[in-house]
Amino acid sequence: MLRLTTKERNNWRARAEEFGFKFHTMYGEPYWDETVYYQFTLQQIEQHIEDPTWEIHQMCLEVVAKVVSDERLMTQFRIPESHWDLIRNSWLAGDKSLYSRLDLAYDGVGPAKLFENNADTPTSLYETGFWQWLWLEDKVNAGELMRQSDQFNSLQEKLVNRFIELQQQHVGEVLHFACCKDSEEDRGTVQYLEDCAIEAGIETKFLYIEDIGHGEGDVYTDRDNQILTWIFKLYPWEFMLREEYAAFLPKAGVAWVEPVWKSLLSNKALLPLLWQLYPEHPNLLPAYFEEDLASSNLSRYVKKPIFAREGSNVSIYVDGKERDATSGPYGGEGFIYQAYCPLPAFGDNFTLIGSWLVDDKPAGISVREDKNRITQDLSRFVPHIILG
Amino acid sequence: MKRSKSINLDRMRKTKHTPFKPLAVVVAASAMVACDEPRQAQIYSDIDHCVRDNPSLIEACELAYEEAMVKAAESGPKYQTKDSCVAEFGVNNCVPYQASESQNWFMPAMAGFMFARAIDRNGYHSAPLFTSFSRYSPVYNKWTTVDGNLYGRRRYGPVSVGSDVFKPKPVVTRTISRGGFGSTVSAKSRWSGSSSRSGWGG
Repeated sequence: MLRLTTKERNNWRARAEEFGFKFHTMYGEPYWDETVYYQFTLQQIEQHIEDPTWEIHQMCLEVVAKVVSDERLMTQFRIPESHWDLIRNSWLAGDKSLYSRLDLAYDGVGPAKLFENNADTPTSLYETGFWQWLWLEDKVNAGELMRQSDQFNSLQEKLVNRFIELQQQHVGEVLHFACCKDSEEDRGTVQYLEDCAIEAGIETKFLYIEDIGHGEGDVYTDRDNQILTWIFKLYPWEFMLREEYAAFLPKAGVAWVEPVWKSLLSNKALLPLLWQLYPEHPNLLPAYFEEDLASSNLSRYVKKPIFAREGSNVSIYVDGKERDATSGPYGGEGFIYQAYCPLPAFGDNFTLIGSWLVDDKPAGISVREDKNRITQDLSRFVPHIILG
Repeated sequence: MKRSKSINLDRMRKTKHTPFKPLAVVVAASAMVACDEPRQAQIYSDIDHCVRDNPSLIEACELAYEEAMVKAAESGPKYQTKDSCVAEFGVNNCVPYQASESQNWFMPAMAGFMFARAIDRNGYHSAPLFTSFSRYSPVYNKWTTVDGNLYGRRRYGPVSVGSDVFKPKPVVTRTISRGGFGSTVSAKSRWSGSSSRSGWGG
């Protein structure tokens, strides 16, 4: 695993314009950075990332199976009691999921360690599945990278195939796509998934989360009063379950992508549960609930809110002292504690691997770099290749 | 190979650079017409009418009629008052429609249905038809489908239709309120004016 510098494509901003990649620069700072790339060996990719990704995902699903039938655990996961049945039924019915992203700390040598599971609303999908794929095509065609360079990135192919599969249960139905207003990044992610669905032959329609209506007969409607039957939402279940319209969820008859059982998979309470079920697993970090922290003997740990986004409200503790912290609006539902594992540093950058799954199968990686030890939404996205 | 073998770049492109844009549109348009070849359907008033014409297809006629009734109820135009329905479809042409226990609406009565042999499976397709008795309506004495397309003068017998007419139509209802999802996001956004708000994904 090497961090290499390279020349930017001369025309990349025009390419971004051509393909509608609008958030490559955010708050005046580069988000997409192609002056560097990471190079992995095939062995690193397959043995250190792909196989563990599959295994970790399977372990996470085991945790979900355990939690849905255990009221004590549902409480520990801070799931409102009124939705226990909804989540259990969704899991038992085998409601199909689309995608997830595992965040891994990996330095090219040791076993990758799971930081967290973004199973409900993962973003940076377009940059991964399409944009870095196009970067490699362009670089190889320009003769700036060797022709045998590959990339761990079958994300787009797998997304399209997954949509083809999902459609079999929704023949002739419109698939709605929704995200919140005022976020270009979210809108871009949803547009990308919509493009993949259209490629799969599905009829799609977009609406904003805030514009979803409550229709007669306790159904959900779009702005044309059309009843929603099948919808992808880039909006966290942990929010939705606490909002006004959650009351209609059991009756509305909507197939949600992601399904509601994913609220357990994306929940940080998953981490201590994983450690309880699979103690000493090489790809896991020790993690505990608040009540077990004292007896755990952790001296360097990270405190994470049970519900949080983009690295908010995370603090690093060394010997009882707070060393690094990020602020944010989260933490009201409690925290979990995970052994501190520093991200590998390449130069003065801290590097985090996002490992994607589609249809429960490993589908590729994204590499994010941050000057800070806690990766947040301002970290840079850099491409990667496989060579050797 | 560990990456996607190919990606349809045309699908991903958001601005088209081709100087032949109008031509592309024409090509797409004629391609669409070609996909939806016109075909023959029969318009019947009810089950008996259908059976008289197709003595060997009693079951298919019954099924087609019932299917059309369901489609009419699901996707047909609905009105909150009888007057507003009558204004559009004429006197003695509106029936009550119970949307929920407390809501009574009105919709035009199904005046006939289209009947055609299915091309993609065994059996028959059907689609409900409405008409209007009101001289002031654009649908006066004409056939119309649930989505408002016109199919000529109101008479029974053969008609030429696109296969689109039999496709499932979106089910519509009245929306009572909006905005019951998405409130957390605005609450969290208010938390800090200086913080970046890039999205709610992770």
